[in-house]
Amino acid sequence: MPGKAAGVGLAAADKYYQDYGYQARELKRQGKRIMGYLCAYVPVEMLTAAGFIPFRIKGDVNEPITKADAEMETIVCPLVRSCFDMSLKGKYEFLDGIVIPHACDSICRTYNIWQYTLNLPYSHLINMPHSTDDSSLNFYKAELNTFRRSLGRFARKEISDQSLKRAIQLYNQNRAKVRELYQLRKSDPPLISGVELTKTLVAAVSLPVEEATKLIGSVIDEVKQRKTIPAPKSARLMVIGAQMDNVAFIDLVEKSGAWVVADDLCPGARESLADVELTADPVDGIAERYLRRIYCGRAYRERKGSYHEYMEERFGHIARSIKDFRVDGVVLYIYKYCDPFGFEVPEMKSYIESMATPVLYLEDEYSMSTIGRLRTRIQAFLELLGSK
Amino acid sequence: MTQEKKPEKKPEKRRTATEAASRIGAMSKAMIASVLQAKEEGKPIAYTFICCCYDEIIRAMDIVPHWVENYAGICGAKRDAQRFLERAGAENFSRSLCTYALCGLGFDAWREELGEMPPNPPWGGQVRPNMMLGSGQILCDPRNKWYQAAQHYVPDVPVYEIGLPWPPYEYDYDYRQVQDYYVKYIVEQLRGLVEFLEKQTGRKMDWDRLSELVDLTDRTWNLIWETYELRRAVPSPMGTGDAMNTMVPIVFMMATQQAYDFFRELNDELRRKIANKEGEIPDEKYRLIWGGGLPSWFALTDFNYFNSKGAVFPVETTYRMVEAIYNFDIDLTKVTDPLEHIAWRWVKYWTYWYDKARKRPGSHPDVERLIQYIEDYKIDGIVMHEAFSCRTWHVGLIWQLNLLKKVYKNMPSLILESDIVDVSSYNEADTRARIDAFIDTLEAVKSKGR
Amino acid sequence: MKSQYFAGVDIGSTMTKVVIMNQAIVASVIGPTGPEHRKLANRVMEEALAKAKLSFDDITYVVATGYGRINVPFADKQITEISCHARGVSYLLPEARTVIDIGGQDSKAIKLSNGRAVDFVMNDKCAAGTGRFLEVTAEGLGVKLDDMGRLSLAAKNKVEIGSTCTVFAAQEVVAELSAGMPLPDIIAGLHEAIATRIYGMARRLKIEREVALTGGGAKNIGLVKALEVKLGYPVLVPPEPLLTGAIGAALLGKDIVKKAAESGISLPRSERRLREATLFG
Repeated sequence: MPGKAAGVGLAAADKYYQDYGYQARELKRQGKRIMGYLCAYVPVEMLTAAGFIPFRIKGDVNEPITKADAEMETIVCPLVRSCFDMSLKGKYEFLDGIVIPHACDSICRTYNIWQYTLNLPYSHLINMPHSTDDSSLNFYKAELNTFRRSLGRFARKEISDQSLKRAIQLYNQNRAKVRELYQLRKSDPPLISGVELTKTLVAAVSLPVEEATKLIGSVIDEVKQRKTIPAPKSARLMVIGAQMDNVAFIDLVEKSGAWVVADDLCPGARESLADVELTADPVDGIAERYLRRIYCGRAYRERKGSYHEYMEERFGHIARSIKDFRVDGVVLYIYKYCDPFGFEVPEMKSYIESMATPVLYLEDEYSMSTIGRLRTRIQAFLELLGSK
Repeated sequence: MTQEKKPEKKPEKRRTATEAASRIGAMSKAMIASVLQAKEEGKPIAYTFICCCYDEIIRAMDIVPHWVENYAGICGAKRDAQRFLERAGAENFSRSLCTYALCGLGFDAWREELGEMPPNPPWGGQVRPNMMLGSGQILCDPRNKWYQAAQHYVPDVPVYEIGLPWPPYEYDYDYRQVQDYYVKYIVEQLRGLVEFLEKQTGRKMDWDRLSELVDLTDRTWNLIWETYELRRAVPSPMGTGDAMNTMVPIVFMMATQQAYDFFRELNDELRRKIANKEGEIPDEKYRLIWGGGLPSWFALTDFNYFNSKGAVFPVETTYRMVEAIYNFDIDLTKVTDPLEHIAWRWVKYWTYWYDKARKRPGSHPDVERLIQYIEDYKIDGIVMHEAFSCRTWHVGLIWQLNLLKKVYKNMPSLILESDIVDVSSYNEADTRARIDAFIDTLEAVKSKGR
Repeated sequence: MKSQYFAGVDIGSTMTKVVIMNQAIVASVIGPTGPEHRKLANRVMEEALAKAKLSFDDITYVVATGYGRINVPFADKQITEISCHARGVSYLLPEARTVIDIGGQDSKAIKLSNGRAVDFVMNDKCAAGTGRFLEVTAEGLGVKLDDMGRLSLAAKNKVEIGSTCTVFAAQEVVAELSAGMPLPDIIAGLHEAIATRIYGMARRLKIEREVALTGGGAKNIGLVKALEVKLGYPVLVPPEPLLTGAIGAALLGKDIVKKAAESGISLPRSERRLREATLFG
């Protein structure tokens, strides 16, 4: 149970967002152990089952990257650099360890730097394959069991099937709550703003899972009971990208006169679409979800049929979001030096435009210094949508 | 139709230290010509990446590889890559992505738009393949994104990907605890590849022939390793500049008799030079290691610049993608199934330095390799290259140097910054100024030692 | 019905432009942008009004655009230069389907369809595709920026400029000049270099003819020719290429007023227009 609870609803979400790590520090003081991790690809169910509080490491767009450059090359994705810079600056001094997945080059090729520089009591690289065929799934299960054993050694207690199953249920409940939250975006105007929703989701990944679920639930209740009708805006936008752990960009979009009503982001829709199936061996369900059911460019899906069918397989979830949330335009918000997303831009753009939905492709550097340039582009995009 | 930009003034040809290395240009050109020829003859052509375990497999099935990284390197070396990079940018690929991929994708997009090769393509151009063979390793995102992206331009060309991981180096367990399931996975992936290739070509794998090529590869690995070990001599007979040529048979011609014969000849030549006390340069002052990073293909003459200052490079980690098979901790000759043999060789290669790292507190296999070479080759300083478009091989260089300093000793080091193929990132005056400053440091350290 | 006047104010990073229109342009002013955008906007507006022999009250609607558009306190609306250039070019050159605008510190390409922008791409980060590139290299060569175009026409063998970075390119051209390379050849090389950057950016839109060139860069005959070589066909340049943004802004104001009149909506107007004496304080 949390110590000094920061309240409920949007006020609490805002507090946990602004003072990211507040609750983790509290829990550490109470003797709990906090396991830091990067990216949506770390099976947080296993961290929770082992008795750790999973803590999603994030960067800070307002903080220029300084300390990181002495250890980490500047050609690394700026998000990862910022996360590392924050870690070096002591923002996450409460971490007992760090778990890093083989998500992409920027994440896995910096593993050594994280490991050796932060020198935490525990570190582990989960060597997740890119391929998603059956033999890759089996390999990944074996890797997850290696991780399970390793984490169990550090926890000084084997991770039981029972504790895993319990954790799986908790996270499935959590994702269901997130999906419920997203329903609030469907109306016109949406009942919840993009800024409010993203703040809530970011706050949530810094909290133990049950608290996170409660927080999201309290936000849903609060929003549903709101009396004021938000001012009308000119367009409904969807934002697609990798990790967006701050609201600077979404705030810019909403202040420019549009709603952000849909996304394919982390934390965001990407992480909440699929649950872990409750399988007899819980690792089976975990492996299946993490390798196959998260739609991110880092996962290589085999092509089974025509090129058109392949596009549907890879990007069909975007089409469904555009339809379900009645999206007018899509922003591809891609970090510079990002390979998994960078290689997909032409295809994504082409796919979305084939649905008669305009696309704005932005390459950004995870820093507030670019906000002026982005403002003009967003405004121009909205003018363009308005004149359709 | 647009008038395409003419290539920049022809780059200076790099002087080689060995006669063998000087033959590589012609060999490389002949290799590209043979692919164009094979295309005309209707032979099956695959886009391939280096170091993906499938050399023996494709050679055994007479599939003709087109090495896309090589072609981009050639465009880079000829300083004729910009127009392809620009074309990729016009397709909305970020210019921060792997420039091998940008060059290849730009070329493919252009070729498909025209229905023929772009005008004046280097060495005849990059053919339209019958299939593309990617991989999902812990190495390199482009290896599982490039061909997928290329399908936007050649949607009818099938892609096959194989997973090729190796065990990470961790403190709390020995990699031998996991190596079995790694090998099992790799074997399954290779088997899947064989099935795919059989389906694509309508041919059946000749397993005996594959076993022969696996054996040839083992012998070639041993020969390459022994040959490179000859460079320990003082003066050193061959440098990294030449090795950036001799990498061609290692990574583009593995599992061919041609590669073995080439290294046989190089080995003989180095022995002759050592007997005559002939070094890379007559007056060897500083012995350096090229400790990481792919070279700037358009600026290989920088190695001659180093030479002009009395600096030689007896050893490098880049493209030295072999170890002597007989130095592994298992008897690989006992693994008779060819796919298992390949898989074990792969895992043992990538974990080769793990045991050494365990013996030195706080060390890491990458750094152990540097230390071994520094001692064996009597190295005075380290040069590395940070290519902006390649996160795979150019992230962790700073960390390696920091760790080397911490667990071994503080050595003069230099990190050059540029790119593999994008020449606009390169400034010759700036690079040479950095080299000059580094040479001064080496000299200062040397005089202190006297 | 009394003729309605509309004003467009385009505060670019280098130049500020004002246009007053009814059926046609009645007055236009171009002046260099300084750091104090507000004061400048007021002054240039005053100048334009004087030229048109109009008072501020005669202007029905004012639209501000450009980099400094938020600093036009008397504007009724701010619209980006993307939409304004699209509107302006559609008016001046109805056959245009692509606009390439080369400004002092940024460049952009806009795809047009039915007189409106439907896609765009911008470069406002790297100086090498903007007027800045020519400004810096001209300075290095000791040449006036306005002479660059004319001088380059005498080129016999243009010099290849390898550096894409403005700073390195400036060093490079000085070295070429010292080595005895003819000045026109060097300038032609610079034009080719910047044309390559701009062409590369514009291609992301799948360029459609006719292509119109606007902005300060369009006044440089050497650069225009270099772009035509890249494209492989001639481009259209409006009579006063610096004014397309301001013209488009004024026209968009006209469109807004017309639409509001048709649907009976009352428009939100700038507060400032209700105050007189303090307007230009």
